[in-house]
Amino acid sequence: MNNLIEVKNLTKNYHTKEGEIEALKDINLNIQKGDIISLVGPSGCGKSTLLSLIADLDKDVFCGSVIKNDNLKIAYMLQSDALLPWLTIYENAILGLKIQNKLTKEYLDYVEYLLEFYNLKDFKDKYPKSLSGGMKQRVALIRTLALKPDLLLLDEPFSALDQQSRLLISDDVYKILKKENKTVILVTHSIEEAITFSNKVIVLSKRPAVIKSIIEINIKNNETIYERRKDINYHKYFDSIWKDLDTNES
Amino acid sequence: MSLEQKNYLKKIRLEKIKITLSQLLIIILFLLLWEFLVNLEIISAFIYSSPSRIINTIIELISNNNFFIHIYTTLKEVIISFILGISLGFIIATILYEFKLLAKIIDPFLTMLNSLPKVALGPLIIIIFGANTKSIIIMALLINLIVSIITIYNGFQNTDEYRLKLFKTMKATKIQTLLYLVIPSSYQTIISSFKLCIAQTLIGVIMGEFLVSKQGIGYLIVYGKQVFNLNLVMTGIILLAIISYILYKLIVMLEKKLLKHI
Repeated sequence: MNNLIEVKNLTKNYHTKEGEIEALKDINLNIQKGDIISLVGPSGCGKSTLLSLIADLDKDVFCGSVIKNDNLKIAYMLQSDALLPWLTIYENAILGLKIQNKLTKEYLDYVEYLLEFYNLKDFKDKYPKSLSGGMKQRVALIRTLALKPDLLLLDEPFSALDQQSRLLISDDVYKILKKENKTVILVTHSIEEAITFSNKVIVLSKRPAVIKSIIEINIKNNETIYERRKDINYHKYFDSIWKDLDTNES
Repeated sequence: MSLEQKNYLKKIRLEKIKITLSQLLIIILFLLLWEFLVNLEIISAFIYSSPSRIINTIIELISNNNFFIHIYTTLKEVIISFILGISLGFIIATILYEFKLLAKIIDPFLTMLNSLPKVALGPLIIIIFGANTKSIIIMALLINLIVSIITIYNGFQNTDEYRLKLFKTMKATKIQTLLYLVIPSSYQTIISSFKLCIAQTLIGVIMGEFLVSKQGIGYLIVYGKQVFNLNLVMTGIILLAIISYILYKLIVMLEKKLLKHI
């Protein structure tokens, strides 16, 4: 199979003054090209830790291995839009390109296209404070996509938004991810989001996190999130994820 | 524009006029009262001087070609010490931010220096550097530098952690993070440190001039005291008040220009 990333026997401990905290325990995971994988699990169970390790953000030691191609481009989207208020929307969108010295025509044209696609073209020269929360998150997404990553890591990207913007923007994001055939790992608190977004939902236990179950989502009608939510098996998936989460809590 | 909007803008303008007029009125009343009380000999003209005497002193200073040289001397010292203070403060704060261990090591010493009354070092500075402008500038630097370092460093440390993480995920280098994130997000604090620094610099320069100078407003005040010419002392104080207000206003103008979008 076409494995983009292979996580093998990954174990990670954190050290604090109060003692050692086991964050992840023996995680095994294969991510294939085109996969959209959701990670769900109780708060503080180590979902973000797993993302950090995959993205090489954590320079500390861990056991096990994350096998991937050295040239694999990984981009990250955070819970907070983290836009820089002193830069215009356009300057924010190309921030990643500027940092990675990729201000070539090819990349800049792509940013133009994305701004157009997300209806942000008229706001190019505006500053972030004049945008709504949903629009800001869209700019953050453009900033992430601009790097043309092979793998997108989304760390609870919609959780700071109100319900309405959340539905709107998650639909947008889903559309573009499908269209560009991106590989994605999504960390989320929302079971609904996990089912509607992904083809695989990974349920983690509470700390130390082990993989509780991997649920394959087979929804035929793939066009939009609204249609996916109407699938007859939706509730079946919901129940099985909920059950795995629920038993963890007790 | 709707009528309501017009009225609203009018209200804001009116309030601004009210404030400015009241401020002018306070100054005029104060000066009149001062002049009046002195003329009626309720307070002593010898000790408290009076606005008319101060104006006469200024005219006298100008006609003796003494006025601008004193202001120039003090301003020059203030500007040199200010620029040295903020640039050294900025550089040292950057070094401390990049080398956290160093920051932890020197933290108690900074605190100690910050609370030490620097004027106590005056005599020592004069002995080491001589009775000249250099001593005055060093005196001012001792006072403004620690404050600049501490304020700017705190600004750097308050950089938003999500934005720092964002830069980390983009694999930004340390220099890039500093230039594109840490420094710009501290603009506000850096400007605040300018405000603190200018006030501290004035204190330092005048203190230095009290101790060693042959020129400058501080000298004017000390000289006035020695010859018991209190008109000169009062003139010096008034000039200082005006200068410090103007310098502060300049920084506020800079602030408005730099922080338009934040």
